[in-house]
Amino acid sequence: MHAYIVRRLLYAVITFFGITVVTFALIHAVPGDPITFYIGTHGQNVSRPALEAIRHEYHLDDPLPKQYLYWLSGAVRLDFGRSTIDRRPVVERIGEKLPNTFELNFIAFLIAALIGLPAGLWSATRSGRPLERSSAVFFFLLYSLPAFWVALLLMQYFAVRHDLLPLFGMASDQAGAMSMPQRLLDHVRHLILPVVTLTYAQIAIFARFSKSALTEVIRQDFITTARAKGAGESAVLWRHAFRNALIPLVTLLGLVIPSLISGSVIVETIFQWDGIGRLYFDSILARDYPTVLGLTVATALVTLFASLLADILYAVADPRIRLGEGGR
Amino acid sequence: MRLAEPADDLTPQSGGTLVRRLESDVVTLNPVLATSTYDRQVDNYLFTPMVYFDQNLRCIPALAEKWDISADGKIYTFRLNKNATFSDGTRVLPSDVIFTLKKIVDPEMEAAQIADGFEELDLANTRVVDDRTVAVAFKKALASQLIRFNNVLVVPEHVYGKGNFKTDFTSRAVGSGPYRLVRRVPGQEILLQLRSDYWGPKPYLQNVLFKVIIDATTAWNALKHNDIDETMISSDVWLRESRRPELVKTVDFLRFYTLNYNYVAWNERNPLFADKRVRRALGMCIDLPSIINNMYHGTARAMNGPFTPDEWAYNPAVPVLPFDPVGAKRLLNDAGWFDSKNTGVLERDGKPFKFDMYVFAGGATSLTFAQLLQEELKKIGVVMNVVTLEPALMFQRVLAGNYESAYIGWNLDPDPDQYVVFDSKSFPPRGQNVVFYSNPVADQLIEAGRAELDPSKRVKIYQQLNEVLAEDQPYTWTIQVSVKWAVSKRVKGVKIGRGWGLFTWYPGEFDWWIPRDQRIHDRPALAQVPGTKR
Repeated sequence: MHAYIVRRLLYAVITFFGITVVTFALIHAVPGDPITFYIGTHGQNVSRPALEAIRHEYHLDDPLPKQYLYWLSGAVRLDFGRSTIDRRPVVERIGEKLPNTFELNFIAFLIAALIGLPAGLWSATRSGRPLERSSAVFFFLLYSLPAFWVALLLMQYFAVRHDLLPLFGMASDQAGAMSMPQRLLDHVRHLILPVVTLTYAQIAIFARFSKSALTEVIRQDFITTARAKGAGESAVLWRHAFRNALIPLVTLLGLVIPSLISGSVIVETIFQWDGIGRLYFDSILARDYPTVLGLTVATALVTLFASLLADILYAVADPRIRLGEGGR
Repeated sequence: MRLAEPADDLTPQSGGTLVRRLESDVVTLNPVLATSTYDRQVDNYLFTPMVYFDQNLRCIPALAEKWDISADGKIYTFRLNKNATFSDGTRVLPSDVIFTLKKIVDPEMEAAQIADGFEELDLANTRVVDDRTVAVAFKKALASQLIRFNNVLVVPEHVYGKGNFKTDFTSRAVGSGPYRLVRRVPGQEILLQLRSDYWGPKPYLQNVLFKVIIDATTAWNALKHNDIDETMISSDVWLRESRRPELVKTVDFLRFYTLNYNYVAWNERNPLFADKRVRRALGMCIDLPSIINNMYHGTARAMNGPFTPDEWAYNPAVPVLPFDPVGAKRLLNDAGWFDSKNTGVLERDGKPFKFDMYVFAGGATSLTFAQLLQEELKKIGVVMNVVTLEPALMFQRVLAGNYESAYIGWNLDPDPDQYVVFDSKSFPPRGQNVVFYSNPVADQLIEAGRAELDPSKRVKIYQQLNEVLAEDQPYTWTIQVSVKWAVSKRVKGVKIGRGWGLFTWYPGEFDWWIPRDQRIHDRPALAQVPGTKR
């Protein structure tokens, strides 16, 4: 088991460096740089000497491999440089927005899992019946509704028309004068619409994914055996089937965790939820190399961690995986 | 109980909180490093420039209560307002002005937006005259020099001279403006409060709260929901909602022009566009009247050259290029382009008339514009390919002169100087003459306009330049799109400044006020929000 984890870790480190090199090469291969973007967006009279100074400050006048080494030597010390947009440290800019994105996405993830997984299990036990069929159609419909449209409808109905929930932002202007519980309630009220927007499609994913995983297991011989030896239906489902359906679900978990920190441009923009998605989007548009690289590294680390976690969980859930490794 | 004057809508009442929308968070609160209009809109409350612009774009006193320009145009002597103080209570000194100018021209400070206007600054001869007078020297007399002082938002040396000038003042501010910074929460909001010790005529509003709302639809909903008091709106919202009776009761819809225009750039390095008859012909295939009516519902206007009708340099006698495809074809024939093989495509020396036009990806109106032109050109035998490019890529290609034609726009300077865009010494990478236009007559007028200190002579020079440029068509000037704004009816005193719109001219936003009984944003809680440092 230890050898297995060590090997996985080693792969992760190599993959990580690969990701930084590729990202670095890609962002520089995209035409335009922070300077051209600056001139383009700021009209006719820009000072050339000042722009040259910026070019120099960000080492944009050095050859690419040298630029990469500059960046790497900072990155290993967790110094990702300063944004070309506002000159604030990249770590600070990311740190400011990460909790917001994580909070929103984590709550959405929990709710989606709490609704989606049971819904999936329910469908698996009733596979093929009319009610299950129509629920499948419903989930597909849900999955295909565009988020920006749903968000605007929610806003129109709940905020503008009926004034039940706040329109945008993370807290009310008067939150400062509230007591702690009031403040918490105020924040929860602000969370509702963005969470709903993020959740409805995820519920569909969870439900369909867990349904198909479980259906797959239920068809297998050992379930028939379990039924044949007289085990009750709930025992069959929970003790035998569900445990075996966990493996594909672990894969899903590995895919979902990175999205907890990468954020959503649409939801963050519409609800003015100051998060990572928007930061990523703006940085790419402005060719803010340090911020783009910093965000990529953060996302890459979480993705690698998630897949490492998934690998380990596989091994825990299915002894054949770790035995297979150990037996070599 | 005390007797009070009856409240009405005509006498401004002090106090109240205005909530403004910021379309994008400010980059920095350091006014020397300001890069965007948003930075400037916030800075305008916190700092005072040397001179303000009035409603008609003329310079009026601000920090400087009066000024003299030497006969040779090289020495500007400013006398500062003797009452002027910074928000930390210290007096504004002539040395603070010099400190600010030094920071502006230091390339290491990267004040890319402002430094260009002070390229000729002669620091060695700039000096403090007495405790409220400063003499600013220049190596060369430039007619546009005075208005550049509108960008000199003076910072106190004893504060900004310590620490890292570039990074320590992004969320801090000490200025001589009417408001002081209460807090800035990056990405979310900025709260300003009227200084009780402000030295000039006091604005009416007690607090100004800027809320960052990037999404236009959210902002429009927020205005209707009374979360904010003003926002820019799209042509679409203007058309759909500005006449709805229930909205007209609570919202003022305003429309005005600012300093910008759209144009087609024809790269003269490309043999296709070297002939001015060809450029004129292509421009004559743009159906401006129908674009203005159908695409912008009449809320745009046609341009005849590089000056907008709000600028004094504008020459009303110069005609807008007419929509005339038949005349265009004749001009192309004159230039040697014929459909000699009956293929429907014009040719010269065996080569078909074919080119690419770059337009911004994501800009729906740009694409529609290009497609309309493409259709018209096809009818007279010219093949135009529309290529959509992402902004950064478009900027890179166009600024390097690496394109055939492009549909873009300029945000203009309040001074009509055309040196960086049309002088033959401003070819890329030195300047922004991205069309490689070169005409000795134009060069001479541009140089003369820069140097002429007599305003009435300057008007004549630019009116003549307007004619020359309209004749040569280095760009095909198309339209100026009006800006649309929605302001809550609770807010009174809103006026429109020529070329500037609602903000950053004087008094502009400082004249806004909210009647006592309509102050819905006034809550004691504004003083502190959780998780913020003061």
